[in-house]
Amino acid sequence: MALIDTYSTPLDAKAAEHLLRRTMFGATRKDIAQLTGQTAVAAVQTLLADQPEPDAPIDPLTGQQWVTAAYDGTVEGQRYQSLRGWWVGQMVTQPISIREKMVLFWQNHFVSTRSTVGDTRYMYKQNVLLRQYALGNVKAFTKDITTDPAMLRYLNGNSNRVGAAQENYGRELQELFTIGKGAEIAPGNYTTYTEDDVRTAARVLTGWTDTAATITSTFTPNRHDTTDKIFSAAYSGTVIKGRTGADGVKELDDLLDMIFKQPDTAKNLCREFYRWFINYDITPDIEQNFIVPLADVLRSNNYEMKPVLTKMLTSQHFFDQNLRGCIIKTPLDLVVGTMRQLQVAPPDYKTQPSQYLYAMESLRNTAGQLQQDIMEQPNVAGWAAYYQEPSYYQMWINTATLPNRVSFANTVLNGINVNVGGMNYKTFVFDSVEYAKLFTNPEDPVKLIENFCEHFFAVDLIQAQKDRLLTDVLLPGLPSFEWTVEWNDYIKNSTNANKKSLIKIKLDNLIRYMIGLAEFQVY
Amino acid sequence: MERRDFIRGAAALALPLSLNGYTAKALGLSPMMESLGEISTATDRILVIVQLSGGNDGINTVIPLDQYSTYMALRANIAIPQDKVLKLNAATGLHPAMTGMKSLYDSGRLVVVQGVTYPSPNQSHFRGTDIWMSGSGFNQYVNTGWAARYLDSQFPNYPVGYPNASMPDPLAIQISAVPSLLLRETQGPLGINLSNPDDFYNLVSGIKAGNTDPLPNNAAGKQIAYIRQIQEQSQQYAKGIKAAADKAKNMATYPARGQNTLADQLAIVARLIAGGLKTRVYVVSMGGFDTHANQVNAADKTQGAHATLLGRLSDAITVFQNDLKLLNVDKRVLGMTFSEFGRRVASNGASGTDHGTAAPQFVFGSLVQPGIIGANSSLTDLTSGNLKMVNDFRDVYGSILKQWFQVNTKEYSNVFSRDMISLPIIQGSATTDVATPSAPSVTGLDVSVRNYPNPCSTATTIEYNLPNAGNVSLRVFDMEGRQVAATQEQFQSAGTYNIPISVENFTDGAYVYRLQTERGVLSGKMLVAR
Repeated sequence: MALIDTYSTPLDAKAAEHLLRRTMFGATRKDIAQLTGQTAVAAVQTLLADQPEPDAPIDPLTGQQWVTAAYDGTVEGQRYQSLRGWWVGQMVTQPISIREKMVLFWQNHFVSTRSTVGDTRYMYKQNVLLRQYALGNVKAFTKDITTDPAMLRYLNGNSNRVGAAQENYGRELQELFTIGKGAEIAPGNYTTYTEDDVRTAARVLTGWTDTAATITSTFTPNRHDTTDKIFSAAYSGTVIKGRTGADGVKELDDLLDMIFKQPDTAKNLCREFYRWFINYDITPDIEQNFIVPLADVLRSNNYEMKPVLTKMLTSQHFFDQNLRGCIIKTPLDLVVGTMRQLQVAPPDYKTQPSQYLYAMESLRNTAGQLQQDIMEQPNVAGWAAYYQEPSYYQMWINTATLPNRVSFANTVLNGINVNVGGMNYKTFVFDSVEYAKLFTNPEDPVKLIENFCEHFFAVDLIQAQKDRLLTDVLLPGLPSFEWTVEWNDYIKNSTNANKKSLIKIKLDNLIRYMIGLAEFQVY
Repeated sequence: MERRDFIRGAAALALPLSLNGYTAKALGLSPMMESLGEISTATDRILVIVQLSGGNDGINTVIPLDQYSTYMALRANIAIPQDKVLKLNAATGLHPAMTGMKSLYDSGRLVVVQGVTYPSPNQSHFRGTDIWMSGSGFNQYVNTGWAARYLDSQFPNYPVGYPNASMPDPLAIQISAVPSLLLRETQGPLGINLSNPDDFYNLVSGIKAGNTDPLPNNAAGKQIAYIRQIQEQSQQYAKGIKAAADKAKNMATYPARGQNTLADQLAIVARLIAGGLKTRVYVVSMGGFDTHANQVNAADKTQGAHATLLGRLSDAITVFQNDLKLLNVDKRVLGMTFSEFGRRVASNGASGTDHGTAAPQFVFGSLVQPGIIGANSSLTDLTSGNLKMVNDFRDVYGSILKQWFQVNTKEYSNVFSRDMISLPIIQGSATTDVATPSAPSVTGLDVSVRNYPNPCSTATTIEYNLPNAGNVSLRVFDMEGRQVAATQEQFQSAGTYNIPISVENFTDGAYVYRLQTERGVLSGKMLVAR
């Protein structure tokens, strides 16, 4: 049984939830039910189906779209709130689809940050590009992102011109975006490319600028280096013939042809997919028997995303019991995922757009404090959890972030207050009693805890832990039949707020405690 | 293989010291070296490490006035006008935004270490940062921080048995929510992270610690164990940190909160130190130094993005230093800056600078041996447009370990399996070089170095043989750790080399020469006598 072989067992509820958690943000009861009993291939087909593009965001104060309006420093701040709230809103309200996880992946792969780019309209335009190619062709995507106006600003491609080559993009294109850096076998020689290749690639890329008025990029032939570009032995001494005039842009195609022809490019990308969806630890066995065959799928399909994602997400290895729960939740998985898992309803975007955007922005802010801020990666390599050896996912957890992760339970239980036009509104109101009713036999405390545990944790708790949840947390000092008595009493008087409150306090305590367990932090 | 084994193994390979009886005798077993073992470790001294993320442009920070016309020719669009430079001496000056650090220099509280990097420097932010934090060579991949290895030598087995009566506080504190490799050891982080001592206490009171439930028997178990460990640490240290923070108030006036992030962080550090925390190492940082474009204002090149950064750095360090003095703890605290690399000598067309190599490091404190260590890097003798090394960063770290923390050779060898040239950083310290005395003997390697004649009067020849091709440099130091002669670092094929060294300008006495090869450093001692 090879790692890469297709997982053919129909998905049970746990496997379905595993697939949903890894490819989306949290899993709802309804989505789990929908995928349970399907084959992995069928379920992944649903996840990979194309989705309609969302409407552009609106300004929460004016209700107007702003994405093609002129730059205006006085409203730039609220535009940025609008964009971030809009994006987190796509995550919170996602249908069964892998798209939002892929859009986030690509934003962390082709990093550009708002603080460097300095114009939210650019970031929106780039986000549209990320969405367009989220499940598309990586090579075509790389071509378009190279001349994307926000990227031209972020990695200074807009100041890269003949005679004054600016090598920032030429370096990251190779080190981070495509082929990746191999072992340094001689000074300045990283196996897959060399320092000279960085300088040479920068010369290929000369000539581009961005225009703020139209949020577009322009190729200016007289800024382009028209001499021949000779690459190192790492690229078999490839020569990109210098081109003149408007033809200068075609050198970018030549450059990407050269880079994407290298098997290392496909392998490097597949390792990134692996660390995003499966596990950080790429052993020699995983490299040989999983990454290499995946990379073959990627290359033989001319760098199309859907075949490689299908192969990976329907594999035996993806569903391996040993890897369940081995990823530490990213801050967005924690924040958005918990809201979705608990099925806390956000404000309605159509009728309450300002409340909606501000509430989403609040979730964004929480994830940012936990060190995952969308469009504000600490540097061009993206979030350290995906590359920093040997810690990887553990980079998310430290004595400063863990207390904040645990106290997020209070946000869940108290709701999110937003202020619109001087008025306070409570949004994302969670009702733990209604939530408990989504499970069978909520009147039976043992079953209730059993069911909660299965849905809250990607790993199995031992019986002693479950017993403690019952005797120390849900019903401290009480025999368990008292729960059944109280619950049934509430059901008989379901409009009695006091009776409901008795139940709710106990359930809130249970949920707060469960979110505080280390086991809740993995998925 | 455990990571600890990896670094030791790698370093052992890199250190053929014991191969050659001559070098081992010269340094490793000298009475001077032995006596280091007698000195007890200083336990009340504190090191504050200031990280400048992005690669600071050293040439516009510490400006080589002695090569000003070359400087102007290579970076006219960003050059600081000569008359605006804050002169430290005839050859060297600081960026005009650094008035505070100029006053620290004038009052004997600042050291400038020139041209710091390592052989074959790496120009990737990530790899460069890893190298600086781990204290490794360019081709060693080390997953522990040098500061963590130092702490590990002082507090073995941490976290087992900690906190305890002799060390009730965290070994290290980083004022950031982003943990640094500097403080990571094989068994996990040796320090704790916090953004603010008050919030820290309030937040951790909600955490459940002491969980001893069995772990899931799959890959998730490792991650859950790690999270439980962090829960435990937060709980254990929160009270002590809060008590220390409550006990002391800053006495100097810092910039308003939020105006200067480095000053904000250092204000917390000063409070915790003055409040009596026994924490040995603090880590703070500021970012923004990756100045590829528009690092100066075209109209006034003393202003702009880089000037703002250096102004904040200088203001923050100065107010911190003054605060420590007012709090009467300044003699216990040493600070050090570092950045993952300097920047290219020639500016680019975007009024910025691309990734480079060597750059100055600053060391500050009331007990430093003030001055400038090493000459300005040459702006004309370059490697691919980049500065050559004047000082190795591991010699800066090593000198601090030895002179400030007074580690013995055994403790030193827990941090670096590499011999060291001592730089004069701390007042009144004997600047003796450290060789790792117990490097396991490695067979099959036959790098060797010697000089003849020895003693010598006008000239000597340093002879070495290389079993393999690689990058090589040769440097000669006096016993104060000052470099007195050097060859260019260059790629050499296998073979025997004879390098003539003129010693006519050397004063009589002992000198140490160091051959840096890809397998590590070989050292020898020579005598000039007339």
